[in-house]
Amino acid sequence: MADAGNPFPFHESSVFPWLKTAADMWLNLAKTLPPNSDTTLKTQTAVQNRFTQQLETSLNLFKSFSRMMNEPESASATANTMNALPEIFLKMAGSGFEAAMQIQNHLMEKAARIGKRTEAYNFDNLDQEVFRALSEVYEKELRQYLKIPPLGLTRFYQERFNEMLDKHNLFETTLAEFLSILYLPMEKSFNVLQEKLKQRTEEGNIPHDVKESYAMWLKILEGHYMNLFKSKEYTDALHRTLNKLEDFLIAKNEAMRDFLQLLPVVTQKDMDEMYKEFHLLKKRVKALEKKAGISPNTLTVVK
Amino acid sequence: MTETKIPLDLILERMAEDAEKARQRASRASDVLLGELHYELGSTPYEIVYEEDRVKVKHYFRNENADRTLKAPLLVVYALINRETMLDLQPDRSVVKTFLQEGIDLYMVDWGYPTSKDRFLTIDDHVNGYMDNIVDFIRRKHGVPKINLMGICMGGSFSVMYASLHPEKIKNLITTVTPSNFDTDKGLLHVWMKDVDTDRMVRTFGNIPGDLMNFGFLLLNPARLMIDKYVGFMENMDNKEFVENFVRMERWIFDSPDVPGETFRQFVDDCYKKNLLIQSKMFLGGKRVDLKKLTMPLLNFFGEYDHLVPPEACNQLTGAVGSKDAQDVCLETGHIGIYVSSKFQRQFAPRIAQWLKERDQEDAAEPPSAKRKPDVKREAPLKKPSVRKTGARQKASSAAKIIRPKTAGKDKQSLIQKIAEAI
Repeated sequence: MADAGNPFPFHESSVFPWLKTAADMWLNLAKTLPPNSDTTLKTQTAVQNRFTQQLETSLNLFKSFSRMMNEPESASATANTMNALPEIFLKMAGSGFEAAMQIQNHLMEKAARIGKRTEAYNFDNLDQEVFRALSEVYEKELRQYLKIPPLGLTRFYQERFNEMLDKHNLFETTLAEFLSILYLPMEKSFNVLQEKLKQRTEEGNIPHDVKESYAMWLKILEGHYMNLFKSKEYTDALHRTLNKLEDFLIAKNEAMRDFLQLLPVVTQKDMDEMYKEFHLLKKRVKALEKKAGISPNTLTVVK
Repeated sequence: MTETKIPLDLILERMAEDAEKARQRASRASDVLLGELHYELGSTPYEIVYEEDRVKVKHYFRNENADRTLKAPLLVVYALINRETMLDLQPDRSVVKTFLQEGIDLYMVDWGYPTSKDRFLTIDDHVNGYMDNIVDFIRRKHGVPKINLMGICMGGSFSVMYASLHPEKIKNLITTVTPSNFDTDKGLLHVWMKDVDTDRMVRTFGNIPGDLMNFGFLLLNPARLMIDKYVGFMENMDNKEFVENFVRMERWIFDSPDVPGETFRQFVDDCYKKNLLIQSKMFLGGKRVDLKKLTMPLLNFFGEYDHLVPPEACNQLTGAVGSKDAQDVCLETGHIGIYVSSKFQRQFAPRIAQWLKERDQEDAAEPPSAKRKPDVKREAPLKKPSVRKTGARQKASSAAKIIRPKTAGKDKQSLIQKIAEAI
């Protein structure tokens, strides 16, 4: 097995002699086939001739390719390319692994800080590092694969599809952050409730029933939510999530439109254009009706 | 360090008792939930008298034997968010029924459910289009030059715009939980709306989905609206009447039509962001909405604990309009509590009826051009508002009259009441 410093000598392997043998075998086999079988229908002859010619051309191409590959220079060039492939795959896997490690590191850091995040009823400077890291990892490490420029006739369709995937991922990450912020009051309210219960137990005044504890918790929770909702961090996260959702929906609609164009149905864009024209026409008709003293009441039967 | 001892035996004993009670309740609840339940909304009979596109007008049958019937009919305009059925939520809590019993000839706009084809409808289309056509229809039907107009929430803002643009058609104006000053940070909606990118929203959604807005409203008080409400339901689900009323409320809350995209864009941009209405700088159909032209008597209700439209968003209107007969009434409740809370059934609708009757003495067939000199009456002057520079003229003001419920105290509040006040 070749080590990292000394790559596997691909051109010295048995691949190229095998390639040559295989090409010769298929060419000889093709030559043994009769040019026109008597059993075939006359109507099929033209097609069959074309097929045989095509097969012969392909095999000749294959043969030339195998001969060329037998040349040491060509084989070496191909081998280099083949050797580079694992490197590309390794690079891709590497960035994935690095991303996973980064997330894990952030999670570990967060775990170490549990309970120290923020004070009760205070939502300034929220510790949303994990989510920011997640976004960062996605944007720096993974997003690039969706941004590889597509080529060819279908490039615009691929681009829009990739855009949809990209926007979806960004929305998911932002939504996770938003939901985590939304959960914070729960976390804090339980801590405050615990402290209050402890204090009351020390005073010998424990709640009489579950309802009393629940009412106490609910009041604490409501207070936390009110404070959270007024904070800039929450408002920013809310608008960020809404923006990312809108980005995703726009990208999804555009990708969907490509798909719908293949079907005999109208797209949203077509309908919007029609609705706008319809709206303007209706306005003009109503204005004319008003001038002519025609009632806009379309009711014919009293329900 | 001393360790606090918790009497575990006592706690476990109580938990066992609770578990037994819960088991019994669940058993009774299955009978209720599997049995026949009546939770229809808007059960008061009406007829549809007008229809234009998706918009309909309901006409209710008043009590012709009432002590005194009103000459001028009343048109109620609800918001584009949620439905007007809230005014007729359940038989014993119905603003509609109270109006009819008081002898008011009642019409109510049903905005219907906007579809994609309605996304280009603007505020102008609603106010100078639908509303104006409906007002003309009622005026013609009754042979009167003016009618009474009552607006609720966003429908109240539309009514303020309409009354300013067409003062010759409105006899009295009643606004309830109506935002007119949007430059306040007291309500979370006002804070959140400031940074909303309306262009992107309209581009993405077309019409703004009712479910999205409902989710936003739930987020205003998740502890009450997403947790406590359902805990309360679990505690009372063996009570048939409670379950029926709860489901009615639930049906109303989540019956939320989409809002036409262009209307949403204009309302957020012109009102929430630029605060044009209270400054008389808003334009509809090329005409300026000048609040000074709103000269008819005005009665303005709002809720002290309203999270959606806080008092600061409502209490500048009476100071900004041209009318000299303008009153503020602040009720000690939330956004919906004004209409559905049993505590305010006597302080709200009967009061409106009384106020209208006091102003219905004159001949309803007064010619549109005749100018009536309004009484200078400010029964409940303004609470000192958190005033920003709005450009609106401020009349002499002091605190608005806060009306507290005459019924039982806070501990005896029903769950429905709590929900109503939490919204």
